[in-house]
Amino acid sequence: MYYPEPISKLIDSFMKLPGIGPKTAVRLAFFVLNMKEDVVLDFAKALVNAKRNLTYCSSCGHITDKDPCYICQDDKRDRSIICVVQDPKDVIAMEKMKEYNGLYHVLHGAISPMEGIGPEDIKIAELFRRLQDETVQEVILATNPNIEGEATAMYISRLLKPTGVKITRIAHGLPVGGDLEYADEVTLSKALEGRREL
Amino acid sequence: MFLEQLTLKNYRNYEQGCWQFQNKVNVILGENAQGKTNIMESIYVLSMAKSHRTTNDKDLIRWDKDYAKIEGKVGKKNGPIFLQLTVSKKGKKAKLNYIEQAKLSSYVGHMNVVMFAPEDLNLVKGSPQIRRRFIDMEIGQVSPVYMHELGQYQKVLQQRNQYLKLLQSKKQTDEKFLDVLTEQLVELAVKITLKRYEFIELLQTWAKPIHAEISRGHEQLAIHYCPSVDVLDKQQWSRIVEVYNDKFTQIKTKEIERGTTLIGPHRDDLSFTINGKDVQTFGSQGQQRTTALSLKLAEIDLIFSEIGEYPILLLDDVLSELDDFRQTHLLNAIQGKVQTFVTTTSIDGIEHRVVRDADVYEVVSGQMMRR
Repeated sequence: MYYPEPISKLIDSFMKLPGIGPKTAVRLAFFVLNMKEDVVLDFAKALVNAKRNLTYCSSCGHITDKDPCYICQDDKRDRSIICVVQDPKDVIAMEKMKEYNGLYHVLHGAISPMEGIGPEDIKIAELFRRLQDETVQEVILATNPNIEGEATAMYISRLLKPTGVKITRIAHGLPVGGDLEYADEVTLSKALEGRREL
Repeated sequence: MFLEQLTLKNYRNYEQGCWQFQNKVNVILGENAQGKTNIMESIYVLSMAKSHRTTNDKDLIRWDKDYAKIEGKVGKKNGPIFLQLTVSKKGKKAKLNYIEQAKLSSYVGHMNVVMFAPEDLNLVKGSPQIRRRFIDMEIGQVSPVYMHELGQYQKVLQQRNQYLKLLQSKKQTDEKFLDVLTEQLVELAVKITLKRYEFIELLQTWAKPIHAEISRGHEQLAIHYCPSVDVLDKQQWSRIVEVYNDKFTQIKTKEIERGTTLIGPHRDDLSFTINGKDVQTFGSQGQQRTTALSLKLAEIDLIFSEIGEYPILLLDDVLSELDDFRQTHLLNAIQGKVQTFVTTTSIDGIEHRVVRDADVYEVVSGQMMRR
């Protein structure tokens, strides 16, 4: 080993993070050595706190420090509408928009037999339970527009059909503010398929 | 379009070389194992960014060298374009007009070639996979959307096969999700099937007269698309979605039993008939060869009708395999419109004007000289 044990351990820890290879890990570890002790302590605490104090909301599955989460607790929100997404990061993206005022449901993944994720491995049963409550009138399926996300959306819509709840799927096609000439052929053909009458 | 200039560096047995070509027939002459086919292959690689002979790009690099480089100047209707492809042990780098292209798909398609090599005989008598690859490559040259759909289809197919395996081994019992995957698969399968059907109809209209002429009117060539579901008449094409759905419902238990998807474009095939008889089973060597030749010549016209320019034709070692009449016809067909590269061991005995007027290059152990 070229490094004393404390630092080689730190390097190994950094390498467990996504997007960080051996060289970046060494750079980060040596940077930490030059940081002030209280800053390092804060950093370490933040790491532990994030892990200890954050849980998933028992209702919608979003990350939260209080259960139920701030969205589910908010009285001003429209409780008749639920937006189904794959990931907590998708909730944040939707929230940034500031236009949507309903509730969410996080699936924590998409069905993909190739990766060993079956219908029972994502939070579909939980979604069903929430719908037993009469207040929900619309479910928006906002899974990613790729093969797995599309299959998941189709699967959920089939399951929900008998309940009589309105089911919608977000649109896909051209980005807003983009130029038609810069769109690739595949996106264009999708946009054409999803055209609507004015 | 035509190749004006070709530069090779560390490519197979060529250490270095640069040649100018005219927009006409170029005969590449040489004994066996001197490097004739390597020149043809390099032109093909310059166009398609992959070889027709090998799937391992490292094979293209000269022995003991780190990289191989192919450069070409291609004369087109709207002025020349410059292509450059570098193959190293790490991968490929493609430049179009000196600008590096992040995706190979934005590089491929600027220079179109049609290659006819002895291996192409397999198109008729080889496995269905070769024929599917042929259709996909040809449609892909003119339709990027098709390539995308094909990729998506492969993905859904993998998911579906995996799910069927789970159902087969009883690790999974939810058949609803299988239906979802089937619906996704059918949607893509229909698009692919229809595009293939259209393409083959089109190819046939070009190939039929060519074949009739090569065979002096004795032979009627027909190309049949054999999709994995039975589509008997024109009417059924309009309800192809239902045809697929019905079939999938029928074979559902069988598919779960076998744990794999049994129908779809990945099981399609082509068949060729001459005067109503199947060429694969009953055709002679010569007929199989002529059929392959007719298809390739039809491709030239097809590309012209799609993009408005003739592709470059590469004929690797095929002249010697054709009888005099077929040779003459082939040379007539390309005369004056298609830049052609022909490799052969000897031009004695080929009396055609096209060959007499052609530029002749001689290849001796990794060197090519204008004669």
